[in-house]
Amino acid sequence: MRRTLTAIAVTTILALTTACSGSSAVPAAAGEPVAGGELTWAVETEPITFNPHLYAQAKARLLVWNTFEALLTHDDKGGYLPWLAERYDVSADGRTYTFHLRTDVSFSDGTAFDAAAVKANVDKLREPNYAPGVAAVQLRNLDRVEAVDTATVVFHLKQPDVLILDFVSSPQGAQVSPKSLTTAANLKAGGPDLAGTGPFVLTSYVAGQEVRFERNPSYHGARPAYLDAITYRFLKESSVRIGALTSGQVQVVEGVPATDESLITANPDLRLERGLNSGSAFSYYFNVAHAPFDDVRVRQAFREALDLDAVLKGVYRGTATRAWSVIGPTSPFYDKTLEGTYGGDATEANRLLDEAGWAARDAEGFRTKDGKRLTVRLVQNAPFVRDRRDVLAQAIQAAVKQSAGIDLAVTLADQGTATKALTDGEYELFENSRADTDAGAALNLLLHSAGPINRTGAKDPELDRLLDAAVATTDPAARSEAYRQVQKIVVDQALVFPLYAPADQIAAASSVGGLGFEPTAGVPVSAYHLWAGK
Amino acid sequence: MIAAAGRRVGAGLLVLWVAATAAYVALLAAPGDTVDSIIGDGPDSPLIRSQIIAEWGLDRPVILQYVDFLWRAVQGDLGRSYLLQRPVTEVIGAQLWPSLKLALAAAGVGIVLAVVLAVTTRRRWARRISSVSELIVVSTPPFLIGIVLLSVFSFHFGLFPVSGDRDLSALVLPALTMGLPIAGTLAQVLRDGLDRALDEPFAVTARARGLRENAVLVRHALRHALLPAVALLGWSFGVLIGGTVIIESVFGRPGLGQVAVSAVSSGDMPVVMAVVVFSAAGFVLVNTVADLAFLLIDPRLRRS
Repeated sequence: MRRTLTAIAVTTILALTTACSGSSAVPAAAGEPVAGGELTWAVETEPITFNPHLYAQAKARLLVWNTFEALLTHDDKGGYLPWLAERYDVSADGRTYTFHLRTDVSFSDGTAFDAAAVKANVDKLREPNYAPGVAAVQLRNLDRVEAVDTATVVFHLKQPDVLILDFVSSPQGAQVSPKSLTTAANLKAGGPDLAGTGPFVLTSYVAGQEVRFERNPSYHGARPAYLDAITYRFLKESSVRIGALTSGQVQVVEGVPATDESLITANPDLRLERGLNSGSAFSYYFNVAHAPFDDVRVRQAFREALDLDAVLKGVYRGTATRAWSVIGPTSPFYDKTLEGTYGGDATEANRLLDEAGWAARDAEGFRTKDGKRLTVRLVQNAPFVRDRRDVLAQAIQAAVKQSAGIDLAVTLADQGTATKALTDGEYELFENSRADTDAGAALNLLLHSAGPINRTGAKDPELDRLLDAAVATTDPAARSEAYRQVQKIVVDQALVFPLYAPADQIAAASSVGGLGFEPTAGVPVSAYHLWAGK
Repeated sequence: MIAAAGRRVGAGLLVLWVAATAAYVALLAAPGDTVDSIIGDGPDSPLIRSQIIAEWGLDRPVILQYVDFLWRAVQGDLGRSYLLQRPVTEVIGAQLWPSLKLALAAAGVGIVLAVVLAVTTRRRWARRISSVSELIVVSTPPFLIGIVLLSVFSFHFGLFPVSGDRDLSALVLPALTMGLPIAGTLAQVLRDGLDRALDEPFAVTARARGLRENAVLVRHALRHALLPAVALLGWSFGVLIGGTVIIESVFGRPGLGQVAVSAVSSGDMPVVMAVVVFSAAGFVLVNTVADLAFLLIDPRLRRS
């Protein structure tokens, strides 16, 4: 028995006209969309690769969908919309996913998009030494892909895994021309010789400077892109990005630090938009494998010792959104009832620490137990420190010292040193946020006892069972319920201390239309939606 | 003559080899291994690890990897970047000219400004003003100079574009940012040299022959003062290479500096090695040119 999950076919026509859209853009001063013109967009991060299969930076996601498209795309409610696939069916046992493809699509190099192309992409991803991360995580439950006819492709799974839908909607699951998969000179780096089906074609890339996309004249969508071309310039310094915007040298910038937001909002010709990212919140993970955080009271005490609202306000000037759960607040699985249920009670923190045996104080005012100071180490991995997370750590360090006598030792280390500390278990706190579109994918990595980045060291059979159950069903309600219980355990056990929800900011000249954020992912939309108004 | 040239080339190759080996050892000694670097903050499992090890041949003994690196480097193959997934020669090659262009322009700005400053500010008050400004420029971080120049000339007056390696106008501000501190140092050295040279007996003789003071300065004293300045310039090339990274990130320019920093922090060994080898080669080349310039400036050295 097969049942069609969503009434996708009905919404197809509607969705195709706004393919991969749902952008929350409001028509600003830019007026009605106009075709033609060019834009220059200053971005903070230069992608390490333009091959979507090897995509690993959430900050690079806004570039991917210019040239490439996926079978499905996320809506804003945890469901999926058609894109290169018109609809999909799931077998009752949850192990067979059938995708019905569009038949009028071709790659920009002229190759036809069909079931064989989808199969070629997945086969390529599973090739040894190509994309080991994708093969081992997203495709771990995939048995084989079968091209039934040109317009029908079937994913056979070894066991039910609803995250396969997240995969076919992700950059890693984007469709690359099978021809370029075999002929591209630098396949793993991507670039102009990788063809996709998207509304733009990547025409030039100057490392360290810029990447340029030009309109794909034969785009299959309801309309071609508005813009003739768009250039993304890599400007790492935020003050330089803002200066380039205020002086009109670029029309859009991504990445506006809290300290610079007033420069944008005070200027009537500019506007600022902020979107919360998907995935997991930026959190401190308690290492429960050894003292002192093997004691749940000490973990709870750390959480209570910090007046997080005050710290966030101080560091981010009121622009940060506090997180209450390990799951980001924009996720459909987010449990809103957790808000305000814990934290910020210094008296309770001190009571818990006294009770846990950390009652004595040393000369510097830090708590001790058996002559050992209550020291917890946080190792920050320098290449991944952004959003002033180093400043945030210092603020937290000062706060927990003052309120509860906890010694938070922060080290900002190079990648090798940081990885070594984590491998050797020489840490008590681990910081992380993940931008997975399906928060469940992030939790599988971070909380499951077999998770590749389970840094809490927690091995809770109940958590494992809930996490497994949540991906074995395609029923959104059942998934929500499982994740609600997961979040409850995480908060009750104080396994994770969620800090804030990572966000993206865009600032733009008011003449630029169509700006917004991708639903679910929460990152800036691709250039397909943008137009250059008067 | 040929023997001398041979010695020079031999010494240059030795410098290259020592630099490459030192970089190799330093990277090996750094904590964390290559597999960690390649994994980054992505998923990490034994299966993923074994695939990465197999792909890059990381299970071979270190000494074998080193010899293999040297052997391929001699043949002109610097390997593939772990992170960027492209041949290193391609990664570096694309960045070499923008870096070189910037270094040359900065050196040009530095030399011209220094000579003009040292020669024109002989009067007491001019000398004081110039000397103080030179000190300020030398002691200001280039990052700040860059931001100030950008704010004034790009953001406010819109005279020069903020970023990129496009045309000459895009080169002006970065070259100034890097050239000003060089000019400051060079001008101080040149001025001291001029002072000393003007006190020498030959200056007195020249004046006695009826030469005007400016002619004594430009034709005779400057030549003497240039020697230490040229030596300094050869040395400052190293500083220039090190300084490009900040300039590149402020101005959004392509270049070796950016490549080098991201390669070091992410443990991208093949790229680091290539940057070191290229920088060492550049350093050797510039200092050889400086030695030749000595001969040109000072005829006495030619005779000996």
